[in-house]
Amino acid sequence: MGKQEEFVLRALEERDVRFVRLWFSDVLGSLKSVAVAPAELESAFEEGIGFDGSAIEGFARVYEADMLAKPDPTSFQILPWRDEGPSTARMFCDVVMPDGSPSYADPRNVLKRNLARASELGFSFYTHPEIEFYLFKNAPEPGVDPIPVDRSGYFDHTAQSMGADFRREAITMLEAMGISVEFSHHEHGPGQQEIDLRYADAMSTADNIMTFRTVVREVALSQGIWASFMPKPFTTHPGSGMHTHLSLFEGDQNAFYEAGAEYQLSRTGRQFIAGILKHAPELSLITNQWVNSYKRMMFGTEAPSYICWGHNNRSAMVRVPMYKPLKGQSTRVELRTLDPACNPYLAYSVVLAAGLKGIKEDYELPREAEDDVWTLTDRERQSLGIDPLPESLKEAILIAEDSELLADALGEHVFDFVLRNKRAEWADYRGQVSAYERDTMLPVI
Amino acid sequence: MTAPTGRTPGGRGSLARLGFSDLEAGRRDLAALERYGPPPPDALLAILGRAADPDAATAALLRLLEAAEEARGDGGRVLLGELLEDEGFAMRLLGVLGASEALAEHLGRHPEHARELTDPTLGSTRPPAWAVRADLLRAVGADPADDLPVSAGPDAGAVDALRVEYRRLLLRLAARDLTHDVAVDDAAAELADLAAGTLDAALAVARSRVGEQHALARLAVVAMGKCGGHELNYVSDVDVVFVHEPVEGASPDAALRAATQVASQMMRICSEQTGEGTIWPVDANLRPEGKSGPLTRTLASHEGYYERWAKPWEFQALLKARPVAGDLALGREYLDVVTPFVWTAADRDGFVEEARAMRRRVVEHIPARDAERQLKLGSGGLRDVEFAVQLLQLVHGRADETIRAPTTLSALADLTRAGYVGREDGEQLHRAYSFLRTLEHRIQLHQLRRTHVVPDEEVALRRLARSMGYYNDPSASLVKAWQGHRREVRRLHEKLFYRPLLTAVAQVPGTEVRLSSAAARTRMTALGYDDPEAALRHLEALTDGVSRTASIRRTLLPVMLHWFAEGPDPDAGLFRFRRISEALRESPWYLTTLRDEGEVAERLAHVLSTSRYATDLLEREPRGVRMLLEDLAPRSAEDVGHEMAATASRQDSREKAVRAIRVVRRRELFRIAVGDLLGLTDVADVGRGLSRLTDATLQATLDVVARGVAAQRGLDQQPARLAVVAMGRYGGFELSYGSDADVLFVQEPVPGADPAAAAGFAQAVAHDVRRLLAEPGADLPLVVDADLRPEGRQGALVRTIGSYAAYYARWSQTWEAQALLRADAVVGDEGLRERFHALIDPVRYPAAGISDEGVLEVRRMKARIDHERLPRGADPQLHLKLGRGGLADIEWSVQLLQMRHAGRVEALRTPQTLAALEAAGAAGLVDAEDAAVLADGWRLASRTRNAVTLVRAKGGDELPRDVRERAAVAAVLGYPPASTDAMVNDYLRSARRVRAVVERVFWE
Repeated sequence: MGKQEEFVLRALEERDVRFVRLWFSDVLGSLKSVAVAPAELESAFEEGIGFDGSAIEGFARVYEADMLAKPDPTSFQILPWRDEGPSTARMFCDVVMPDGSPSYADPRNVLKRNLARASELGFSFYTHPEIEFYLFKNAPEPGVDPIPVDRSGYFDHTAQSMGADFRREAITMLEAMGISVEFSHHEHGPGQQEIDLRYADAMSTADNIMTFRTVVREVALSQGIWASFMPKPFTTHPGSGMHTHLSLFEGDQNAFYEAGAEYQLSRTGRQFIAGILKHAPELSLITNQWVNSYKRMMFGTEAPSYICWGHNNRSAMVRVPMYKPLKGQSTRVELRTLDPACNPYLAYSVVLAAGLKGIKEDYELPREAEDDVWTLTDRERQSLGIDPLPESLKEAILIAEDSELLADALGEHVFDFVLRNKRAEWADYRGQVSAYERDTMLPVI
Repeated sequence: MTAPTGRTPGGRGSLARLGFSDLEAGRRDLAALERYGPPPPDALLAILGRAADPDAATAALLRLLEAAEEARGDGGRVLLGELLEDEGFAMRLLGVLGASEALAEHLGRHPEHARELTDPTLGSTRPPAWAVRADLLRAVGADPADDLPVSAGPDAGAVDALRVEYRRLLLRLAARDLTHDVAVDDAAAELADLAAGTLDAALAVARSRVGEQHALARLAVVAMGKCGGHELNYVSDVDVVFVHEPVEGASPDAALRAATQVASQMMRICSEQTGEGTIWPVDANLRPEGKSGPLTRTLASHEGYYERWAKPWEFQALLKARPVAGDLALGREYLDVVTPFVWTAADRDGFVEEARAMRRRVVEHIPARDAERQLKLGSGGLRDVEFAVQLLQLVHGRADETIRAPTTLSALADLTRAGYVGREDGEQLHRAYSFLRTLEHRIQLHQLRRTHVVPDEEVALRRLARSMGYYNDPSASLVKAWQGHRREVRRLHEKLFYRPLLTAVAQVPGTEVRLSSAAARTRMTALGYDDPEAALRHLEALTDGVSRTASIRRTLLPVMLHWFAEGPDPDAGLFRFRRISEALRESPWYLTTLRDEGEVAERLAHVLSTSRYATDLLEREPRGVRMLLEDLAPRSAEDVGHEMAATASRQDSREKAVRAIRVVRRRELFRIAVGDLLGLTDVADVGRGLSRLTDATLQATLDVVARGVAAQRGLDQQPARLAVVAMGRYGGFELSYGSDADVLFVQEPVPGADPAAAAGFAQAVAHDVRRLLAEPGADLPLVVDADLRPEGRQGALVRTIGSYAAYYARWSQTWEAQALLRADAVVGDEGLRERFHALIDPVRYPAAGISDEGVLEVRRMKARIDHERLPRGADPQLHLKLGRGGLADIEWSVQLLQMRHAGRVEALRTPQTLAALEAAGAAGLVDAEDAAVLADGWRLASRTRNAVTLVRAKGGDELPRDVRERAAVAAVLGYPPASTDAMVNDYLRSARRVRAVVERVFWE
């Protein structure tokens, strides 16, 4: 048993921990949890905790249901939201097969494999997400419209606002779990919040996003309100995105930085962006995985609908932010398609894979989009070579089906599962008769 | 020294005897010596003759005397006088001049240092480390007694002075080493002391560079690697790690800045190139986070890192950590903090695998051009020994504190004493390692360059050899000795882990210390045995007794254990080896073959730990072990056929004859299986081999049975000609281990024979052939399946060729035409076979291709098969034959192309899938990329199917669900350990691509 495992076992004693939650993610990005008593933990470190993989969305073929969750002791944290009495702790797990080989169905393993490929090229991958979400006064009920907690707007400061209290407590709790918060403010929509996490390697960030979504919902519940990461809860208000800043490092050097280059953006950085742009339609199914995701993407402003990049151009899909002099290490690109309901392990995997492909195959970066692409006509966009992103889940599925890039980055098992699952979601959705249809047709026909 | 004899020194003959190469130059140089004194006496010549390179030694001496003379009016003459007076001095000086060009150059620049070697204590006294340190500190103008010595005086002067002093001390050491037989570990320890003192003196200079604030932090230099292990080379990077603590009252940031400055200055002072050259590079990359981490850290920061982030190899590196300079008390605190990590490292998951994988990587990364002449990294090199010793320390050191020495040779001695390494192995390894290190030292000493490559020029080799005492036929003797030691290391390295295991279970003659059974279990587990208890029981049974065979087995087992451990199922390998060995207990050749033919033993171990199919074949007749000696390529059908016919003809009944044929078949199956397992036989050749073997078996059986039936019925002449038509995968030369042989039987009455009698005869023969080959018995049965015949099972087993013609003319259905695509009449009467082919060609290759309706029918049939034939519960993704992108997908696609186009495109007329696919590609019926996807997919699925059978010993069309079996299939297919899901992923990818092509080629 290593030092870190011993540290965890000691902490369990000292902090009077009664339960340890072993966390992992299913293929769609829902957090799964197995609770074990501290006494079982020692064997969990050595052999893993067995569970029935076929019960987890997308994990296993029925007959090879036996899987093991192996806790990663470096992710040990006491959960702060049960502050009285004996406490509960959590650890993220790797999922392995009974012979010890890593499971290709485990989203953490998918990201690990992609990070390993990056590291073969000498890169490490860092991300920094800006996560948006809505706070509602009421818990969801079928047929009842959600009521936002306030009517404020972007960056508004309101006295005694529920949102501000909420953000303060959520941030305290996140920091208590070792997740650094960079920035937080009120977003455009009523009741809409944004909290930005600090830069970290992609694996930590993905773990942190999983934790974040749980913490935010726990804190909301504790205050009698409801938090949701649904990409587009209102027809009329902006959707929630998860813009993510991306950068590659070679050793301790930012590989996107080159002194004197345009926007201080290195050749590597340009190839990386080119990779993401070229494969953007394929990536959609993973970066925007729900029927609802596509409704966020059709109204302009913060959510991109067209494949282009720009410098400080807020209508572009990939934005190269203003360069801060003397901060060469901060050169990065911002990808604006992602939404907070994605599976962060898979989303970062495919984005990284596309970027690396751009680097390996030396893609040429298309010309920069300087105009607000929303204001252009279709013909203008066409003549500028700016293509649209998939407009619906269906379109995204059709494009993804032929994507070698996705199959390769996700692994065959996950690739196949996602396609099957998404086809089923689309078939389900297609069968629904919506309020829109009734509202527009019943009165007239 | 004796007075000069007066005759001219060194006639040419005597010079040659002394070892001079360039006699002319030698004579000239010796004569030139007379400028500084009397002609050199024989005694001096004899000493010159012992120098590694007498020519170079003489020339260097001449330059030295010149320089001494220049330095001081009569310096040269005085020096030569002393040399003639003092034999010890002469030996040391000439020894150095003959072996080290670099030190000779140094003496040329600093002739006064030559007198250092007059010191008579050099031969007997090793300088204590503190004295070396004091000399070096004084040289840079610092006081060794200070707590924090700071060099005084001008910086550049100190940096040069440090280099000069370093070389002076190195010169003394080299002289001791070359002339006074200092053991290699002592020389290496002295070099480490010298390095430690140098680091301390460099620190003193660094402090003066940084100024006052250097005192804000306590700074310790911890040596790692060879310097830490107290076993440094003459020239190598000195690996260090820095640790600092703020002094009381200093802010952590200021302390960090000060410590970083001192540390980086220290590194620069050692490595920078000045007029006096460089010393060696200081390498701090073993620190936490390597190059990207901060240069120095506090104790707490080190601890935090090792707790959370460190990799196994980093703990292995800590094994050699030793504080050598700066604040030694702080250095010791560091050791106290990190040492516990070292001894728990081995418990981490995958530690042993990772360590071994690391070694494999190291071996793979040596540039091929140097691999053979590498002392350090190549197979059988120094690194092998060091790695093995460290691994054993980490595995057993937690429980046993007596084996934690950081120095390789000391640790090896400790391990041997405590029984973790066999006594003889330990001693031989000790000898080999000492030899290789000495050789390395001498190579580096020559130019003080960091190199681990044995030179191949004759002059250099000769000098090296003589410096190591090989005066007769120097180069050849040296190379021979070197190769011998290398072989020895290679041999011992493999057994080192395993041999002591035997002492835990058996009474081994000799005085070895026994390994405790707990330690034996720990090691078995570390080596990859899942059930160490059972494994030790098998070992015990195998080594039981004191007979000669037991002793052979004891020498054999360690290396067999190693090979089993490399296979996917070590436990099964050992168990099966025990069974085979017990079955062959009475066969004297068995063990001696294994002992004397290394390749046989290795092949056997691989087969046993991988394949149940091959093991089963072997267990039916353990003598098959012998075949591992032979060529494992599949034999030709003619050869096998002749052998079968010959052995059958010696039997007195049909039954016995067929049994004899089956024995030959089983043996050939074993040959093909082993060739496949060892990666010697390609998947297409396996299929061809199995099909040809089936041909030979059927032909021999048919002959025997036909003769027998004719005799039984009292016929002098057989009333019918017979032929067997191979169908399906058999017809395509694509049999796999588990397949049945699909066939049609054809007969043709001989002219004048009664058709009814002919039919009866043929029926009886076909019936008997099937019965005798399928009969259960010691040898694998061959199921001959005739269900593809007209009217299936309701039809007659044998038809006349006329009846076939009539049937196909009237009744033939599309599926039958499709089945005939893979018909190949391979056995029986040659004329009949040709006539059969002529008969079916128009059926299977219609001139205009099949009708649109036919195409439709084929597609509908495929759709139905996809739906119905897949076994209940099978995973359609992983079914190799009927699943998505499986063999059926590919074969149906190819067959549809054949049915449509073979009437036109002659090259398509082949029963073999790959050949037809290639023809289709060449004719532009599918594009090249699609054809390649299908061909690769076909090969992968076929290989995987064969691998499944080899592992499980029964046919399987699906990837095994059992985890161990799946892992074994991955191993047969060449995947590294713990990557079964990677294999599945690769298969799924191939199948997905195949399916995409099939969508176009077959369905559109």
